[in-house]
Amino acid sequence: MANIRQLDKRRKSVRNIRKITRTMELIATARFKKAMDRAAAATDYTKRITQIVQDLANSGASVSHPLLVAHDTVKAVDILVLTANRGLCGGYNGSLVRVAAQRRSEIQEQADAGQTSVSGKRGISAFRYAGIPIEKTYTQFDDQPSFDAVAKIADELIYRFVSGQVDRVDVAYTQFISSSKQVPVVETLLPFAGLDVSSSAGTTSAGTTSTGQESNVRDDYEFLPNASAILEEVVPASFRARLFKCFLDAAVSEQIARMVAMKSATENAGDIIKGLSRTYNRARQSKITQEIMEIIGGVEALG
Amino acid sequence: MSSGTSVHCIVVTPERTELDAQCEALKLPMYDGELGILPGRAPMVGRLGYGLLKLQSATGEQSWFVDGGFVQVTRDGVYVLTNRLLKPEQIDRKSAEEELQRATEMVATTPQTRSVKERALAQARGKLRISS
Repeated sequence: MANIRQLDKRRKSVRNIRKITRTMELIATARFKKAMDRAAAATDYTKRITQIVQDLANSGASVSHPLLVAHDTVKAVDILVLTANRGLCGGYNGSLVRVAAQRRSEIQEQADAGQTSVSGKRGISAFRYAGIPIEKTYTQFDDQPSFDAVAKIADELIYRFVSGQVDRVDVAYTQFISSSKQVPVVETLLPFAGLDVSSSAGTTSAGTTSTGQESNVRDDYEFLPNASAILEEVVPASFRARLFKCFLDAAVSEQIARMVAMKSATENAGDIIKGLSRTYNRARQSKITQEIMEIIGGVEALG
Repeated sequence: MSSGTSVHCIVVTPERTELDAQCEALKLPMYDGELGILPGRAPMVGRLGYGLLKLQSATGEQSWFVDGGFVQVTRDGVYVLTNRLLKPEQIDRKSAEEELQRATEMVATTPQTRSVKERALAQARGKLRISS
């Protein structure tokens, strides 16, 4: 019976697919751990930078920098979308593209100009399909984005913002909240808001929490060459670190999404195999029964 | 920092903590020249230039190339924040020369582009100084 052979063939192919998805799950798990370690290692730098900004603010220096100032009129808005190069990671790319495209149409209502840049092949093809023009594409970022490559993009954005070519920069990425929760978000990176918190409100709250023991023995820092010159450097460095963090978050979230998607695919393949085996066995048994009946019938006819 | 006779030096880059070591003294490449740090240095925040970070310990002197950034001297250690930390051997003279060439050829008409150019020049010169 052809039906039995077909069932067996299907079961074999599902088994092969399960092998692949299981391997992909294992790979994603390993990559997730690596990406997670990298993200954890990167927090030292941001912590140190916030500390410096804190000290600058505590010493009475006014925190002002072109990157922190919002432009009076918002005419041009850039949006940077961070997606994955590869699929098979559940709703990771889809939900991010949806969020980004929605923000982009909102932007177009208020601003007439601005670039759309997309990182990741999946996002690029999704935007092309939706007919949204893309100015810049990046495909060099995988599970371990390098700081040098991110810094280049950051410097370009800084230049565009400072020179007045763009009035706001948004970035759409998947934020990593915990290993069981990642949310696609759109954040405004420029004008840079990462420092305001630590300089105004942070002087009272963070000053007592993060540096609890030190706060009673306040250090009077000496600034070389002076506080404002350091601030001039700190703000772009902090922005670069912030953008790098977005890339790291996106990379970690991608691996988690793939891990989860492949885990459920493996489980699903197991269920399908179970069902197929059952039908296969039943079909085989009924075939055997039928053949026996035929033989008995033949014997009876002879006798 | 004030603990006895050694300086705790920590170098962090945006990617990771590159170096965490104890030493007797260290020299920092500041924006305007070298600065020596001995145990018990008063707290300070400073801008770094492009040059060699030298760590002096009982076993000898070790040096790394620091790619700009800042330094924060606190009572518990010296924190160096830089974009990259390289061993001097990793710097190739030829590519440094090319970088300098490219930096010199940059067209700088606005204050922003000028600062970009100045930075690239300083970076390339710093690398070139070390590779020679």
